[in-house]
Amino acid sequence: MIWDHALWHWTSLAWLVALVWVALYLIVFRRAAVHGLRSLVLGASLMVLAFVSPIGVLADGYLFSAHMVQHLLLLLVIPMCLLLSLPKEKMAQWFENARLDRAGRMLSHPVPGWVCGVGAMWLWHVPVLCSAATQNAGIGCLRDTSFLLAGLAFWWPIFAPVQRYRLPPLSGISYLFSACIGCTLLGIYITFTTITVCPAFANPVDRLHVLTSLYDAGLTPAIDQQLGGLLMWVPPCSLYVGVIISLLCRWYSNTETVTPPESPGGYGRPFSTSAK
Amino acid sequence: MSTEVVQQYETAKADSNWGLLSWFASVDHKRIGLLYMLLAVFFLVIGGVEALLIRVQLAVPNNTFLSPQFFNQLFTMHGTTMVFLVGMPVFTGFANYLIPLMIGAKDVAFPRLNAMSFWMLPFGAVLLYWSFLTGSAPDAGWFSYAPLSTKPYSSLPGVDYWIISLAVMGIGSVAGAINIAATVICCRAPGMSLQRVPLFVWIMLMQAILILITIPPLNSALAMLLIDRWLGAAFFEPARGGSALLWQHFFWMFGHPEVYVFALPAFAMVSEVIPVFSRKPIYGYAFVAGSSSVIVLLSYGVWAHHMFAVGLGMGANIFFAAATLLIAIPTGIKIFNWTATLWGGSIRCTTAMLFAIAFLVQFVVGGLTGIMFATVPIDWQLTDTYFVVAHFHYVLIGGIVFALFAATYYWFPKITGKMLDERLGKIQFWLWVIGFNGTFGVQHFLGFMGMPRRVYTYADHPGWATLNAISSVSAFFMAAGTLVLVWNVISSLLRGSTAGANPWDAFTLEWFTTSPPPVENFESLPEIKSRRPVWDANHPEQADWKTSTTPADNGHRPDKAKTSAWAFVVSEAIFFILLLVAYVVFNARVEDASGPTSETALNVLRTGIFSVFLLSSSVSFWLAERHLSRGDTTGFRKYLAMTILLGVVFLVGQAIEYNELIQDGVTINRNLFASTFFTVTGFHGLHVTGGLVALSIMLLMARKGYLTPKRSKVFGAIGVYWHFVDVVWIAVFTIIYLGFLQ
Ligand code: HEM
Ligand SMILES: [Cu+2]
Repeated sequence: MIWDHALWHWTSLAWLVALVWVALYLIVFRRAAVHGLRSLVLGASLMVLAFVSPIGVLADGYLFSAHMVQHLLLLLVIPMCLLLSLPKEKMAQWFENARLDRAGRMLSHPVPGWVCGVGAMWLWHVPVLCSAATQNAGIGCLRDTSFLLAGLAFWWPIFAPVQRYRLPPLSGISYLFSACIGCTLLGIYITFTTITVCPAFANPVDRLHVLTSLYDAGLTPAIDQQLGGLLMWVPPCSLYVGVIISLLCRWYSNTETVTPPESPGGYGRPFSTSAK
Repeated sequence: MSTEVVQQYETAKADSNWGLLSWFASVDHKRIGLLYMLLAVFFLVIGGVEALLIRVQLAVPNNTFLSPQFFNQLFTMHGTTMVFLVGMPVFTGFANYLIPLMIGAKDVAFPRLNAMSFWMLPFGAVLLYWSFLTGSAPDAGWFSYAPLSTKPYSSLPGVDYWIISLAVMGIGSVAGAINIAATVICCRAPGMSLQRVPLFVWIMLMQAILILITIPPLNSALAMLLIDRWLGAAFFEPARGGSALLWQHFFWMFGHPEVYVFALPAFAMVSEVIPVFSRKPIYGYAFVAGSSSVIVLLSYGVWAHHMFAVGLGMGANIFFAAATLLIAIPTGIKIFNWTATLWGGSIRCTTAMLFAIAFLVQFVVGGLTGIMFATVPIDWQLTDTYFVVAHFHYVLIGGIVFALFAATYYWFPKITGKMLDERLGKIQFWLWVIGFNGTFGVQHFLGFMGMPRRVYTYADHPGWATLNAISSVSAFFMAAGTLVLVWNVISSLLRGSTAGANPWDAFTLEWFTTSPPPVENFESLPEIKSRRPVWDANHPEQADWKTSTTPADNGHRPDKAKTSAWAFVVSEAIFFILLLVAYVVFNARVEDASGPTSETALNVLRTGIFSVFLLSSSVSFWLAERHLSRGDTTGFRKYLAMTILLGVVFLVGQAIEYNELIQDGVTINRNLFASTFFTVTGFHGLHVTGGLVALSIMLLMARKGYLTPKRSKVFGAIGVYWHFVDVVWIAVFTIIYLGFLQ
């Protein structure tokens, strides 16, 4: 059924976007960038996957859970890939520019990033907005763009290409930890609530004639929403935990922190000198 | 840069007399730690006697030794006692005693708060056990499932005692956890970077954080149950529209992380004991520390595996099963770390080490049965049978109590200055290994045969009598082992050999000072350049820092008042989030439109206006703070008074609103909207009131000229709280008044 022709949207604009990314990347960074190219290609392919594959097609009015997968790709995974693909030295040069530096520094503060990332999740699941974005292509496009931008803002304090914009590891961990709580709450709500979070998915217009097979596969609207809620919750938190682990590793291996001059001959140093 | 690390304003005064009374007034972390431990031992005995009574009743089929009611009271009190009066205090006790010593501090961050946290415990304990005198001890199980625990089914006051005592002890635990966290974060000796603290310290910091976020769900559930029982609401009464399932969700949101509140300290203890008796550093310090941190996060997302049988739906079951399997990974990794530490070490088989190794084996068994339960169909088959009892006792006793014994034999010399007798120790060890596995090993089979837990007797099915008899007889081996331990402690105290500062050639700072440590803890500290400063000092030629580097200390220590304010705020935030969740759950339903709702009963505009007052109080507070930091005391007092006034206006607005609602007959027992509304706004109002009291004290101090800019740190801490109260109100207002999420 996955290979059913109707479930693939081969003419999606996502191809264009992905190609533009890759082309721009190659033009701008040329040789500096072999390293990051892998992340970029991954990001671009996920972009295609999110719109061309059944994920994108079913997200378009059929399945809330498919929408959720698309949402997570756009908000979390793709921006992360994009940020990680940026070559460090080149970026360090760019951000010496005072204007860019100011922007970079502003985004490095945890509050805006957090609000963008978690806020985008909450905002676009207000029933009215969620339905509107599904039924109206313009609003849908706006939403997808806002996901990508919010995602970039969210990951900036963690994965900014220039070290000085990144949060110190322990702050980064609290940042992700609290973000996890944010999406957990929303996930719990969507999973267990009895109201329909996104009415557009409750009675899909069956333009592709796949509805019966979906229902036969057990994906009725109630189950679908439950699945969506769990997707909102477990995969992002797992991703955050993964990043938290990598931050912890960095924290433990980071041996070049500034050392205060330690007084020589430490043994028997009277305790009282250390107080005050 | 500040190297002002071990600043303690309220350091314990040297109590010159060690008489019995001085213990009541003591704020020394070592004495309070010991008090915690002694209390835990006392209740271990009480809870143990309760368990023995249960086992005697179950020794033979169709027994009538205990009445069914008394049996129910016993298993409820046994569980509650072991969790809240043994597990919680004993680990807090060890943390209290050891952490300041391990990080080279003189005391915990807030010695007086520490004493208060402790004394909450005996108070709660007396409340809990008082219920026996009323003739109705709680009997709804340690998790007091609704609706059994609601008024129609439990009309006697037993459950009320249970609720109040748990709330009291919970508040004490949160205060204690804040203290531990602030101590680790703010009071480390110079050189002791957070990456260099002993694993015990790091893991106990994680445990403190876990306590902070896991007690609030319990407290909110307790508050709601109490409102049900005393004020006639119906949160948990399905017959009146409530949801008994909600109790289960809230309870296990506390209950599952709680098992890690116990497991983490056990990990912490064996992570100290195993390396020392293998004479090498722990294998993979960062792994053990990191996976313990990850557990804090993950343990919060798997509570529903206790609810597979209630019908959550297939999707939810599968996800929770997967998450549960996931959390086994960080735990599994640690088992490998400990085993790898043993591997190739020169192992000394002391009693402490034996207990630690038994911990490893038995904890793995408990973990494996846990993984079995994570597979939903197996859980359906085995839940509420003796297999569950076997599972969690393998984890709790086989794992955690054994780790505690290891810790006891390891640190007893430090605490008392005397060695425990190794021969008696080994006798105790074998009595416990045989007794424990005999008691609980056979319960796996009983579970498979379908013997239900929590039923006071059973018919004479084939095999049941024998297995139960084995189980009951074995329990007495553990009791005998405990008597051996008590004898060992007493005889060691009277005529044990003297320990000296570092009898085990151990690594961490507590072994650098005398045994027992002086009131001030240390006369001097060695230089801290690695994770094993005492090893470095004693074996300078093989010092750790020569071969492997660890991140150095940058000397930065956050302000402890602010740190503890943030910790408190996090805890409170979770409390409110859960109350709001309850609001959303009960008001998002379309079907029961009977009675008042938020649309019909509330005056949004008026409350909106009063909200502006509250929110502007945050601004005036901020202005006050700025004036204070500039040293302008008149300006400061002016804005502080304004903050208080604005807060009072808000409260007046709330009083008007309440009055009007009550006039209209919208009282807390009217319907679920009213109950949730009054609960959420009422608790918020209480918090505003609390904040106002604190601010008024500040104002008074400022009047009297006590409030120097130096003391303004405390003011900053109150500020964190005050802004928090406002943020909570924004959430309350958008959800309740503006109907977001409905
Ligand atoms: C590998 C780790 C673990 C897994 C996968 C696991 C899994 C489970 C599951 C699925 C249940 C529910 C059984 C049922 O009621 O049907 C359960 C019950 C229980 N577990 Fe664990 N568990 C693990 C570790 C622990 C730890 C570390 C502790 C304690 C420190 C613990 C204590 C308990 C308790 C007390 C219960 C019974 C609660 C009750 O019904 O009264 N478990 N466990
Ligand atoms: Cu659990």
